[in-house]
Amino acid sequence: METDNIVLQTDGLSKVYRSLFTRAGVRALDDLDLRIRQGETYSIVGPNGSGKTTTLKIILGLISPTSGTTTIFGSKIADLSVRERLGFLPEDAYLYDCFNGEELLDFYAGLFGYSRRRKQQLADELLALVGMQESRRVPFRECSKGMRQRIALAQALVNDPELLILDEPTSGLDPAGRHQMTRIILELKRRGKTILLCSHFLAEVEEVCDRVGILYMGRLVAEGSLAELTGEPTEIVIATSDLAPAQTRQIADHPGVVSLEGGVLRMDRANEDQLWAVLQLVHQAGGKIVEVTRPRPGLQDVFVRAIGEERK
Amino acid sequence: MELLTRLIAVAGLAIIAAVIIITRRAWVPGIGHAVPSIWRIAKITVSEARRRRVLRVAIILVILVFMSMNFFSYLSPEEQSRMLISGGLSAMTVFGILLAIFVAAFLIPGEIDRRTIYAVLSKPVRRFEFVLGKYVGALIIIGVLIAIMTMVLVAVLLIQDAILEDLPDSVFDPNIRAVLFASFMNYCSLCVLTAIIIFISTISSTTMAVIGALIVWAVGSMQSILHDLAEHAVGVSRATLLVLYHVVPKLENFDFRHEATNLIPINMLSAWNEILHGIGYVVVVLILAAIFFNDRQV
Repeated sequence: METDNIVLQTDGLSKVYRSLFTRAGVRALDDLDLRIRQGETYSIVGPNGSGKTTTLKIILGLISPTSGTTTIFGSKIADLSVRERLGFLPEDAYLYDCFNGEELLDFYAGLFGYSRRRKQQLADELLALVGMQESRRVPFRECSKGMRQRIALAQALVNDPELLILDEPTSGLDPAGRHQMTRIILELKRRGKTILLCSHFLAEVEEVCDRVGILYMGRLVAEGSLAELTGEPTEIVIATSDLAPAQTRQIADHPGVVSLEGGVLRMDRANEDQLWAVLQLVHQAGGKIVEVTRPRPGLQDVFVRAIGEERK
Repeated sequence: MELLTRLIAVAGLAIIAAVIIITRRAWVPGIGHAVPSIWRIAKITVSEARRRRVLRVAIILVILVFMSMNFFSYLSPEEQSRMLISGGLSAMTVFGILLAIFVAAFLIPGEIDRRTIYAVLSKPVRRFEFVLGKYVGALIIIGVLIAIMTMVLVAVLLIQDAILEDLPDSVFDPNIRAVLFASFMNYCSLCVLTAIIIFISTISSTTMAVIGALIVWAVGSMQSILHDLAEHAVGVSRATLLVLYHVVPKLENFDFRHEATNLIPINMLSAWNEILHGIGYVVVVLILAAIFFNDRQV
């Protein structure tokens, strides 16, 4: 793997939460090695309690690891110059709720030492990017979940960060809000930002991420690009219509056909050489071919398989 | 022993000043970053308190208390004035302590509970800047309230003085300067108490900070009694009482209500001694708070 363009790296990161009075501990993270390259969108997915939030907290320096190291842009997070180059969107948009979007951006931009004019300019630009110009003066506590999430994203972008860390950016949003947030993330990706994303929504992860790491009980159980994780398609799906019921049995009994239900015919990809014969059979039976596809397994399938193997 | 404690405080301040001067090359560039960050966190702390109407409610309560003090019409004019000064300053002390406890104890644990701290600490803000920002913010909130209470008390005193001046048996002339000074010293004691509350809140919860603050205030206000008890105690009890006597700040020494009420001249040397002692105490406590908070898992 290339090492010169790695933005974020963790080596042997472990975290054990110990009880104050007993020696018993809960291992939240176990020997985690991550490499996130410049310009890529990487997602950590995993069930609740798998260690996603712990990972982000350690990366951000909010908690310290039991062992292991984290470097961002080649330095430790304690280095202020590192934090000047990253942005963080916390889960559930935890911001001061008695201020409005404009005031919040003014405060967070102020922490970077920007001038009053620059802060004003940033507020205008960022509120426009997240579609909050009209509601810029609405107090945060009166904002809908989607509006809050967009203001929180704007505060994460206040320093035009090279690395963006997003913790459950679409959590609790309705489908329209989720679509809007995904669109903004894709736009940020287009602008060349390196993005580390934690999410429960696998469809969203599939849409925006270049690489995915599946975390389970604190361990990275699978990692790779979507193509690497999902592998090659394993079946051929033929969608048909107008197929006479009397003919379906003959087609279903054809070698290579795995199933035929509701006009959808599934073939094992190993029997691809039989495809033409099956299509002819459908045609002879008076059916119409609507679509022939070779679908890849979804991230959901990969996720379930990876977790299932670990459970065994 | 009293002299020894003060000498230690002055020596502590001298050592801190010396360390600051000797190491200035190391921290001068950092100061350029720290001061604006501290100020911004202090400002948002004050704005938040203002938005949450903490100050407004406290001010209304105080004005109501001061107004009610004029109802003791059965007292002589002189007694009324003394009552007003003593009661007013006492009310300021009580409200100040309650405000210090309930503002400062919630500042840091509140940020952790509401998780608003995540977005702040992911920005270029050092943890000690966050602690100091919260402390400065708390001091501004308490300072504004004490200033308003003092202005109300002085205004009531001046109005009462003008009314009573025409009465034939009026001999009492309130010393406004002494009242202002007593109020200032009360604020100084609250600065010390607030630093302790901030320190406790960096290592524990809000509840612990409130309990700790009440204990420190109670012990700090009874230091002379504690000293007498230590004199007569033996063994472990004596050691414990002596430790408490030397570790807990002597908040009662900041109390100048008696002087202001009874027109007793103020010993300025002793007052400045207490202020220096208080500054040293605050510096040490805040350094400890910053050290502990630096390692806190948030």
